[in-house]
Amino acid sequence: MKGLVLILSVLLTLVFGCSKQNNFDEREINLVSPEKISGFDPINASDKYSGNEAGKVYEGLFEFHPLKRPYELMPNLAASMPEASKDGLTYTFKILKGVLFHDSPAFKDGIGREMKIDDVIYSYKRLADPKLSAKGWWVLDDKIVGLNEWREKYSQAEATNYDEAIEGLKKIDDYTLQIKLKKPYPQFLYALAMPYTFIVAKEAVEHFGKEFLNYPVGTGPFVLPKFDQSSMIVYTRNPKFRTKYYPSEGEEGDDKLGLLADAGKKIPLVDKINVYIIVESQPKWLSFMKAKNDLIEIKDVNIQQTLTPENELRPEHKEKGMRLFMLPMLDVAYFAFNHENPIFKNLKLRQAMNLAYDRDGANKLFHENTAFIAHGPVPPGLAGNRKEFKNPYSKLDLEQAKKLLAEAGYPNGKGLPEITIQTRNETVARQQIEFFAKCMDKIGIKINVGMNTWPELVNKVTKKQHQMYTMAWGADYPDAENFLGLLYCPNQSPGSNGANYCNPEFDALYSKATILQDSPERTAMYEKLNEMAALDVPWIYGFNRTDIYLTQAWLKNYKVMEFNHNQFQYLNVDLEVKKQLSKKF
Amino acid sequence: MIKYIVRRLLYLIPVLLGVSFIIFVLFNLVSGDPTAVLLGKNATARQMAELREQLGLNKPLLDQYFDVVKSAFTFDFGRSWATKQEISQMIIQGAYPSLTLTVPAFVFATILSLIISLVVAFYRGKGIDLFVRFMCIAGVSVSALAYILFFQYFFAYQLGWFEISGFEYGFPDFVPFIALPAIIFVLLSLGPDVRFFRTVILDEIYQDYVRTARAKGLSEVVILLKHVLRNALIPIITYVVIQIPTLILGALLLENFFSIPGLGGITLNALNSSDFPVIKAMAILSSVLYIILSLVTDVLYTFADPRVKLK
Repeated sequence: MKGLVLILSVLLTLVFGCSKQNNFDEREINLVSPEKISGFDPINASDKYSGNEAGKVYEGLFEFHPLKRPYELMPNLAASMPEASKDGLTYTFKILKGVLFHDSPAFKDGIGREMKIDDVIYSYKRLADPKLSAKGWWVLDDKIVGLNEWREKYSQAEATNYDEAIEGLKKIDDYTLQIKLKKPYPQFLYALAMPYTFIVAKEAVEHFGKEFLNYPVGTGPFVLPKFDQSSMIVYTRNPKFRTKYYPSEGEEGDDKLGLLADAGKKIPLVDKINVYIIVESQPKWLSFMKAKNDLIEIKDVNIQQTLTPENELRPEHKEKGMRLFMLPMLDVAYFAFNHENPIFKNLKLRQAMNLAYDRDGANKLFHENTAFIAHGPVPPGLAGNRKEFKNPYSKLDLEQAKKLLAEAGYPNGKGLPEITIQTRNETVARQQIEFFAKCMDKIGIKINVGMNTWPELVNKVTKKQHQMYTMAWGADYPDAENFLGLLYCPNQSPGSNGANYCNPEFDALYSKATILQDSPERTAMYEKLNEMAALDVPWIYGFNRTDIYLTQAWLKNYKVMEFNHNQFQYLNVDLEVKKQLSKKF
Repeated sequence: MIKYIVRRLLYLIPVLLGVSFIIFVLFNLVSGDPTAVLLGKNATARQMAELREQLGLNKPLLDQYFDVVKSAFTFDFGRSWATKQEISQMIIQGAYPSLTLTVPAFVFATILSLIISLVVAFYRGKGIDLFVRFMCIAGVSVSALAYILFFQYFFAYQLGWFEISGFEYGFPDFVPFIALPAIIFVLLSLGPDVRFFRTVILDEIYQDYVRTARAKGLSEVVILLKHVLRNALIPIITYVVIQIPTLILGALLLENFFSIPGLGGITLNALNSSDFPVIKAMAILSSVLYIILSLVTDVLYTFADPRVKLK
């Protein structure tokens, strides 16, 4: 009996006595990733969360300025912005000297060596290596002179020869690179700020082989000797990180918000970052409320717990010093027609369906009124979206919808077959289609829901086996081309134009606009394209959603950032505030 | 008995062939081309074609089926298509958290259910029996999700007795993390287990040999523990052992809500990303476990009831 009591006592002590206490002494930040991280190979960091993790250990030639808006590129591993030839086809890049890779057994004596231009060329070739099937290949596909040919040459070969020179990737010296483009590609520099083009060391790739994805060896501000698929990733400060300073300029008003308080200080500003992998909403929310995390992305059910009906931070959170950040996302959610289906070639039908969709109702029901009604494919915040433009079909007008439906040849929906909308087999997705079906029912259109796993949905769309489907597209980089391309005919399925929309006038203007550098002329073209696509309603426009984030009072320098792979090195923690507020948690 | 065991193990061959065939047909007929999912939203037709080639999806169907069969017999599942991780490593890494959660909880739940069942069988028809039956029905009527949400909110967040989520490898580090999900596991298991065990025990209680034992003057406790329980063991063993493969494959909801990086999450991610090698590995693994544990069940029968002979 005594033994049993002893065992029980030990167990209870283990259970209740070992709970982790919040750390108020160490300069560390605690973050959450709502998705599992599949690995640290930059060429496959296709989703936001993998990109965020890769960005802590790897770096690219450029990065987005952490404070300036609209988004602005600034040199990272590059010494300066590149020199471009007049025709926009040749770029000359200079990289920083003295940048060291992390220490790793991959290097001689385990000491990280200096990064040179060969590493940049190697990393870009790696993205093109046909043996690796990189998810990020599309950013360089058909862009650099000789790169596609090199890829083609080795697609059937046993091994890829990285030593073979490529005309478009020319080493001038150890710190200078010249890149020749096949055609003007104004978004090219954005590609060099994306995780896909982060710089890796050949020795590390060869030393770790297929396990390279678990042994990140970059030049970044934090180190992670080995990645395990567990519930937590712990990064520590890179002791050999080069001298890099917190920016001293930002957007207007950043100074008042305290975002320039650390200007001129050496980064990274914290010693450690803990990233907890928490998929479900409740544990994510409860962990934040217990101050175990410093930053949380607010979604779905947590919106109500965060905001008042007036979309302000609830008083109980204000009392704990929490801060609310809301910013329209660079994204668009829509219902796409399959334009290869003859029914949807009928413009008046498309217009009628757009007018019958109660976006205000959907916004209230599914987004707690935090989303913005989309008026075209280009979201607000990007050149190409004119604030004054309001799509006449992005509003609820049942009378007009009925009239247009009759003119389309389907009075009160008569003669129109039932339409199936394909979506993901998730509760909210189903509810959204059911709400949409209820809206369409008011003008006599019958809608069915097609529930699919994600692979099934992608397959139906890529094989054009759908009538309609729902989708949301987030920006890869801050350029309207990234959204307008969703309606460009050559991109039709299996490409990103899942609506299979083809409009020769749109395509011709798109081809002209997308090769221009950022200029008033290009903006005007983008605006025309956006409005052309808005009025032709190839989709039923839904919403531009809002990024909502909540931070603890002690997290400093946070600003919502769409392309935030490199943001974490700029964050800081006010330990005094953390200690003071600890009693409230 | 050795011959019987060898023969039963040989059954693995046709079973694995059948399982391989079913997985292969389902994957090829139902799930379609995985390359669009694997390459992400910007995939081009050319890139998809190249990846199909690399994954061996352009090979003749018979060759592809042979690859599946080969991996089923060699247990060499290769690498995940989606994460590029070594599948055997993924399984080992995921099995540890899954088992640390499910095995102690399962053992505890089974023993506790048996004790409760014996008690309510002893007091059959009385107040305590009615109360336990009512609680069992009420328990199974509430969704597992409701238990998880409430317990996590109340015991982990409000009272702060447990960790809200997460997992740490190594004893005793994992204890605070698995304690609450394990308690929920036990509670979720009690309802169905007690109902089943009680029925089985009551079936035995009305047998002739029990009346004989009572006529001989044996106490009710001795009859229950020594005679009834022993005779009831065969269906109980079948019920318990057959659940073991599901323990290894993880408790998906609990793992997800408590951020335990177990096999349940790995399987779900694989299904969502058309990761055929991982789906194949998990299906084959569960089939093998099922066969082996059926064999274990048969062997255990001989211990539970000496009249059972394995031939």
